[in-house]
Amino acid sequence: MIVASLTMKSITKSFGKVSVLREVNIHVEDGTFCVLLGPSGCGKSTLLNIIAGLTPQDSGSVLLDGESVDHLAPRERDVAMVFQSYALYPHMTVAKNLGFGLRMRGVDREEIEHKVHDIARLLGIEELLERKPRELSGGQRQRIAMGRALVRQPRLFLLDEPLSNLDARLRANVRLELKQIHQQFRGTVVYVTHDQVEAMTLGDQIVVLHEGIVRQQGSPEAIYARPADRFVAAFLGTPEMNLYSGTIMIREGRAFFEGKGFSLNLGDTLMDHANEVIEMGVRPEDVRTTHGAGLGLQAEVEMVSNIGSEIYVYARIGRERITVKAPKDTPPKSGQTLFLTISRDALHLFHRGRRL
Amino acid sequence: MRHRGREGIEEAIIRILRIAGILFFIVVVAFPFYWMVVSSFRSLQELLMNPDNLGLDIRTLDFTAYGEVLFEHGFQQYIFNSAYVAVLTVLLSLSLATLGGYAVTRLYFRGQAFMSLSILVIYMFPAIVLVIPLYVVFSWLGLRDSIHVLILVYLAQTLPVALYMLRSYFQNLPAEIEYAGLTDRCTRLGVIWRIVIPLSAPALTSVALYTFMIAWNEFLFSFLFLDSPEKFTLSRGVVQLAGSVHLSKQLVMAASVLVTVPIVVLFLFFERHLVRGLTAGAMEG
Repeated sequence: MIVASLTMKSITKSFGKVSVLREVNIHVEDGTFCVLLGPSGCGKSTLLNIIAGLTPQDSGSVLLDGESVDHLAPRERDVAMVFQSYALYPHMTVAKNLGFGLRMRGVDREEIEHKVHDIARLLGIEELLERKPRELSGGQRQRIAMGRALVRQPRLFLLDEPLSNLDARLRANVRLELKQIHQQFRGTVVYVTHDQVEAMTLGDQIVVLHEGIVRQQGSPEAIYARPADRFVAAFLGTPEMNLYSGTIMIREGRAFFEGKGFSLNLGDTLMDHANEVIEMGVRPEDVRTTHGAGLGLQAEVEMVSNIGSEIYVYARIGRERITVKAPKDTPPKSGQTLFLTISRDALHLFHRGRRL
Repeated sequence: MRHRGREGIEEAIIRILRIAGILFFIVVVAFPFYWMVVSSFRSLQELLMNPDNLGLDIRTLDFTAYGEVLFEHGFQQYIFNSAYVAVLTVLLSLSLATLGGYAVTRLYFRGQAFMSLSILVIYMFPAIVLVIPLYVVFSWLGLRDSIHVLILVYLAQTLPVALYMLRSYFQNLPAEIEYAGLTDRCTRLGVIWRIVIPLSAPALTSVALYTFMIAWNEFLFSFLFLDSPEKFTLSRGVVQLAGSVHLSKQLVMAASVLVTVPIVVLFLFFERHLVRGLTAGAMEG
């Protein structure tokens, strides 16, 4: 299998006056599973269509293995695409659907049949080969769509929200399976989704897109641990990161974050940002609860939500709300007063949206 | 209970309207058709003796009128001419409308919106307005008495509607299926041939039937353009026949049956293709 690396250089695209992509630069090493993550309308599907050659970019360049493919038609780029709607050929049987791309390449009949059967066995869809798409369930159609891409062994796989039409349980299963298939095939994948769980579990590399701009790229761990800006911080993680705006005050040689009705000691960092308005974030799982008074922030518990595997506490600090992951053994009750401690390392500080 | 009474009245009205509709259809369409068929199977003698006999006796079916019409009055040739004109018009109209309709829905080029809009404008010119100038022009060019010129005229007449119908159908085809085809190594023409055309079978059938009917039944242009009897189409032939034979009503009736039956048969045969949607199963969500 020939696997290509993918580079996008300053890709820009607008539809009329609406700017969809601005100077997008992304590099994906060969064999890497890269997830384009962003809310709907961030331009991620457009970017995928540009890579495939289905939509021309206004400026910038797409390179496979370092060579520009801008002048190539979709069929010449040797990429395979899985669509959100699956886009199966409704007038062909599953076997014909799977073999269509190979047939168009002039691969001989026997080889097509052989390859189609191999893929069907891998995906467990052998008994469906003679059926038409309308006779299949959503999950089966999704499999056929993936099989159609896999069977061609392209240089690059493009997947556009392939799981978003599956129900939650099936989605989790297929997600795992997708990961396994990738570990087996080691193809280069660009995977578009708005689902951060998919991004975190599938991606070797995540690119966060927002309003046509690459906000951050890196490994899932790095992005989760050190979000580059306020948008990425708020977008990744469930429940969301707690974010507060406040002012840095220097008192007695120490910096304090003065929020709405609460104050947090930041130690001797950020001394040079005195009197500046910044934003502070902390993830629910990074907040420790103690019952001892006097330590840390005082919080009034408003609601406790037990989702089985975790317990989340929704509390009030000053005039702000905070979400805290609570210990399972001694869950707090609503109305109770808690004291919260947050380690300095767990704080994410943003000035004008950018990480400090 | 009042509510119930109201519904009762509504149902009664619907029932009356339905019966009225059926009666109207019988009087205006079915009866003349029946009359035509019955008369065509009578001998001249019987027609003259019992002109207002409406019954049809299977045992005394008389096919002589058909034989005469077909072999003595040249209708063999007319049927062939009409079929030739209609089939060729259908083929040309389908291929041009498919390519044109696809172009205005999926491809982007200068003037696309204008092209798309102007398609129907052509159809707004009534045929009677065009027929005299065309007559003059084709006479000058010496092309008038020709079946192929007739095809050209029919094409101009049917193409706008064909384009319009196919365009609306293509607009509703999911573009992603075509994208899939393009990444699966198809060319644009390949996508049209292997994906768009198979998926558009219902629309293509409708367009084909419509075009066939227009070309098969058309009278005005064939009446004015064709002079040589060996080039006559069926409708032209029937009028010719009606004008020349004064007594033999059954001949005209037999000729009329020959014009009508192919259309009816075609409709019954293709009717089920018209309604079926083919994209079921392609898309999710």
